[in-house]
Amino acid sequence: MRLFWEFTVRSFQRHLTYRAAAVAGLVTNFFFGILRVSVLLAILGEQESIEGYGRAELFTYMALTQAIITYLSLFGWYDLMNAVHSGEIATDLLKPMGFVSFWLARDVGRAAVALLLRGVVIMALYSLFFDMVHPTSVAQVTAVAVSLILALLISFGFRFLLNLSAFWSPNARGIGRFGFTISWFFSGFLMPLAFFPAWVQQIAHLTPFPYALNVIVEIYTGQLTGPALWQTLCIQLLWVLLLFTLAHVTLRTAVKRLVILGG
Amino acid sequence: MSIITVRNLRKEFKVSKHHRGMMGTLRNLTTREFTLVKAVDNIDFTIARGELVGYLGPNGAGKSTTIKMLTGLLTPTGGEVMVNGRVPHQQRQLYVQRIGAVFGQRTTLWWDLPVIESLELLRHIYRIPPDRYRQNLHEFTSLLEMESFLNTPVRSLSLGQRMRADICAALLHDPDLLFLDEPTIGLDVVAKERIREFVRHINSARGVTILLTTHDMADVERLCSRVMIIDHGRLLYDGRLQTLQDRFGGKRELVVDFAEPYPEVTVPGATLTHYHDLRATYEFERQTISASELIGLLSTQYRIRDLSVREPDIEGTIRRIYQEGLLTGDA
Repeated sequence: MRLFWEFTVRSFQRHLTYRAAAVAGLVTNFFFGILRVSVLLAILGEQESIEGYGRAELFTYMALTQAIITYLSLFGWYDLMNAVHSGEIATDLLKPMGFVSFWLARDVGRAAVALLLRGVVIMALYSLFFDMVHPTSVAQVTAVAVSLILALLISFGFRFLLNLSAFWSPNARGIGRFGFTISWFFSGFLMPLAFFPAWVQQIAHLTPFPYALNVIVEIYTGQLTGPALWQTLCIQLLWVLLLFTLAHVTLRTAVKRLVILGG
Repeated sequence: MSIITVRNLRKEFKVSKHHRGMMGTLRNLTTREFTLVKAVDNIDFTIARGELVGYLGPNGAGKSTTIKMLTGLLTPTGGEVMVNGRVPHQQRQLYVQRIGAVFGQRTTLWWDLPVIESLELLRHIYRIPPDRYRQNLHEFTSLLEMESFLNTPVRSLSLGQRMRADICAALLHDPDLLFLDEPTIGLDVVAKERIREFVRHINSARGVTILLTTHDMADVERLCSRVMIIDHGRLLYDGRLQTLQDRFGGKRELVVDFAEPYPEVTVPGATLTHYHDLRATYEFERQTISASELIGLLSTQYRIRDLSVREPDIEGTIRRIYQEGLLTGDA
């Protein structure tokens, strides 16, 4: 646990140093969000709301999803893949440390910086310019926070597994891109999942992706409350457990393959 | 008491066969044919605690494959490996706690962290007691002259600095055994010398067993009394460096400066290769005549002002062993 903390802190400090990149990213992020919301507003047209999303909800949806792009590394994360392909992985395996937790610790540090420098700032900026819906109770804020943490773990588990494909393929980046694209669709990043036909929503909810993004919006805007909220948090937790188990098992197979086939 | 025991160690790789041309591409898609490559082919050796052994061989000879099996990064196809009382590939997590490894070609430190931060992380990874950590850090940083760049991120270090930092990092947890894979590659003469000095120190003062792979014969000459030579996956030689030199070393040379000009300076047992301006160079073989005999013969006949004996260099010997396959068949 101590080691986990040491890695997290150092990763946090390191990501804090990339300030120029953070500012540039922030600006892009802000305008990209405006572009996205214009499309959604055009779909809304003269109607009051679609599937529970009025103007304020749409702005909130857009602000939230923009705010957590970097937190969840939605646009791709290939660090582990690169380490496998460059052979750095060998020196990591020569250290007596848990491999999954080592990468998780670094990702937590990274995500914490992303949440502070990007997430909070984006939410504040959008609140300034647009009418939005915000949580109304301490309980709701807590639920959002818990859901955010679980979402990061789900996202990490998914990204870790996707990156492990590098052990099997020398050109796993394509697999990675495919995976991330699928995740945009099913997580509700391209459009709120409520806008899709019922059968698409049903399929989406068989995957972990809505639980990494869409549910955060639904909790934040108050669409998910009471037992449904509890149920959602539980499903998030189940996905975390499942993905981490899968990550450990796959990693073991991957390392076995590596030590038999050579790097 | 041996720290490394290797018996009939083998590692084979399957390399997929690629057919060329149009039909070949189709065949590649439909069938998968493999060629079996024997990277390590039945090797045996033991290394005792406290030894410093050089592991030599041309590129692709099987050196890294052996090291990977010894460090637990590869599972052998057959045979036994026992290092420090454990089977490396079966108990990797426990095993790596007690070993250190330096790969000249890549760093084990974190690229974007200052050196000291990386070392701090290692302290936690290996659970090094704080006192021990402080002592080791102090000793290594002063011996390796690292103080000036402890706060520099690893990515901004020069190659020599990075290598020193890596060696320090590999030793902080007091490993019983250290694998050094080309620790002087790409370094200048001074940097190389500093690293050799340090390697010798930790081997003699701390008793750390060291297995050194290198292409630099000066490393071997300065550090290793015992060498193992591998080629085509087979262990060709295991013994003293001097023995190898005596058996396969090229001709020795004697350079003589005469006090006055002589028209004729040949002597039996040696070949005159060069004679100009009072200076003559003779080649002779250890088996035929000794240096003192030769000097004796010359000094009875001529007035000599100065002379020197040149030993054949190890580099040349090893090169001849690889190229001419001198050891094949008598391992």
